[in-house]
Amino acid sequence: MKKWLMPALQTIFVALLVVSFYATSWFGDEYLLRAEPYDPFDPFYGEYVMLQYPDLDAPAGIRDGAVYFTLTEGDDGYAVIDRIEERPFFGAINGSKYDRRVVAPQLENFYVEQGRGPELEEAIDLEVTIDVAPWGSIRPISIAPRSE
Amino acid sequence: MEWERKLAQWRAEGLIDQETAERIRAFETRQPKKRKLPLLLIIGLIFFALAVFSFIAANWQAIPAIAKVGMVVTLMWIFYVLAHFSEKKHFGHPVIFRILGYVMFGASLIVTGQTFHLGTGSSIVPWALFIAAIAHFFILRHSAFTVLAFISGITILTSAAPGIGLIEWLLFIAVTLAWFFLSKDGPTMIFSWLLLFGSGFLVWNLWDIDSPLVPIWVLFALTLLLLLIPQDKHKLLSPLYLIVGGIQLVVFLAIRGESDMSFAELTMPESIALAIAGAAVLALAYFRERHLMWLGVLGLVGFMLFDETAIALAIVAELTALAYLIIAQRQDQPLALGFVYFIVVQFVIYVIYAWERLDMSLFFLIGAILLFVLSGIAWWLNRKKEGAVT
Repeated sequence: MKKWLMPALQTIFVALLVVSFYATSWFGDEYLLRAEPYDPFDPFYGEYVMLQYPDLDAPAGIRDGAVYFTLTEGDDGYAVIDRIEERPFFGAINGSKYDRRVVAPQLENFYVEQGRGPELEEAIDLEVTIDVAPWGSIRPISIAPRSE
Repeated sequence: MEWERKLAQWRAEGLIDQETAERIRAFETRQPKKRKLPLLLIIGLIFFALAVFSFIAANWQAIPAIAKVGMVVTLMWIFYVLAHFSEKKHFGHPVIFRILGYVMFGASLIVTGQTFHLGTGSSIVPWALFIAAIAHFFILRHSAFTVLAFISGITILTSAAPGIGLIEWLLFIAVTLAWFFLSKDGPTMIFSWLLLFGSGFLVWNLWDIDSPLVPIWVLFALTLLLLLIPQDKHKLLSPLYLIVGGIQLVVFLAIRGESDMSFAELTMPESIALAIAGAAVLALAYFRERHLMWLGVLGLVGFMLFDETAIALAIVAELTALAYLIIAQRQDQPLALGFVYFIVVQFVIYVIYAWERLDMSLFFLIGAILLFVLSGIAWWLNRKKEGAVT
């Protein structure tokens, strides 16, 4: 029986990881973010687009480093920062601020089909759809060139 | 069959009599026939597997996320089932199938991470692999999982280093300490000790400090393990302490000799504290493991780093190397480690003080002569020792 313990536990772990991502979509809200890319490659995970978000600007008075923020939909349909604090609060996305720009680890890179990275990089103006759970976790859903 | 042809030949030459030939024939026909897979079937299976993989790869983006993860998890189960039958039916090596199953677990985490855009900064994957490898080790007690746990532990330290938090750091130390104490196995204690030593370096990231003495503090902190482990394990770990201590002294000598150390923050109170800690380590080693008394020398490094010429460090490195060799020679202990340390010290001192003062060709000529002479001394010492033994 002992020999089946590890594959069983490992399967449960992978299942929990997958469910945690789906739960973000089941219980969360969808946001559309303006994004700008650059294009590296990870030997294990494959090709991804590194993204920065021009609308996610920190207000004055917030220091560089760890920040906690929530999103809200702006007038033009793209998400902007709703509330940002230097201390954690429930429902906040964990991120970091550097030189006014705010980013969260899961928003920084978006894995794409092999060879699609340069195409998205050329498009420059991109939009990313994400789901944000009420407890603050993020699930990136899709990436596409922006038409505006 | 080959044996029938040889049997007939030996019988014809009169090497064996008819009765022996019959007994050999009876014995050979009783042997179980080896079941070999036909070559064409093997080639066919390889091509089939390649075709399946290329089909999956070509349609990877079209496959639903859950199916991608499911496929790799299924592969993981296939290897664990193969390990089970390999054990029962005595074919192949069960541990290799289990390692492949573990690797497939890693692959399933990577596929999940890629499919759901898990951030590359996340340490979930190396943590899961670290815990899984340690759990495999405790269930199977196989050293392959020691190596796998060490590799995944190093991955946690390197991937988490930029933004590691205090809780994650303490958790890593707690897990590694538990592995160290519960393993009761030589190689595992060495690998877990190395991870504990590596985790000490994260102090630089955690508190954003510029002290160059952190590696020595970590080594001194690890000497406390001597109070908690049985005497027979002291013998196993003491060369590790000495090797790491020797490397640290040589690295400090090289850095101080070749740079002004403007990147580091040297303070007298910390140097005094290190000297006191060095004295404590000396006392601890005196009562628990006398070979480790050499580590006490590192307590003086804080003071010696204030000397911009690095002469104090060079003298201490030279004296410890010579003294270690002489004592080891007298006590009839192995000289190899001591001699390697001695040669490295000579070359670091030679490079620090001769590199900019000599013409390049002269630098290499004298270096080669130095190496030749040192090798000669090593050979002579070894010969003398062998002579004493015989």
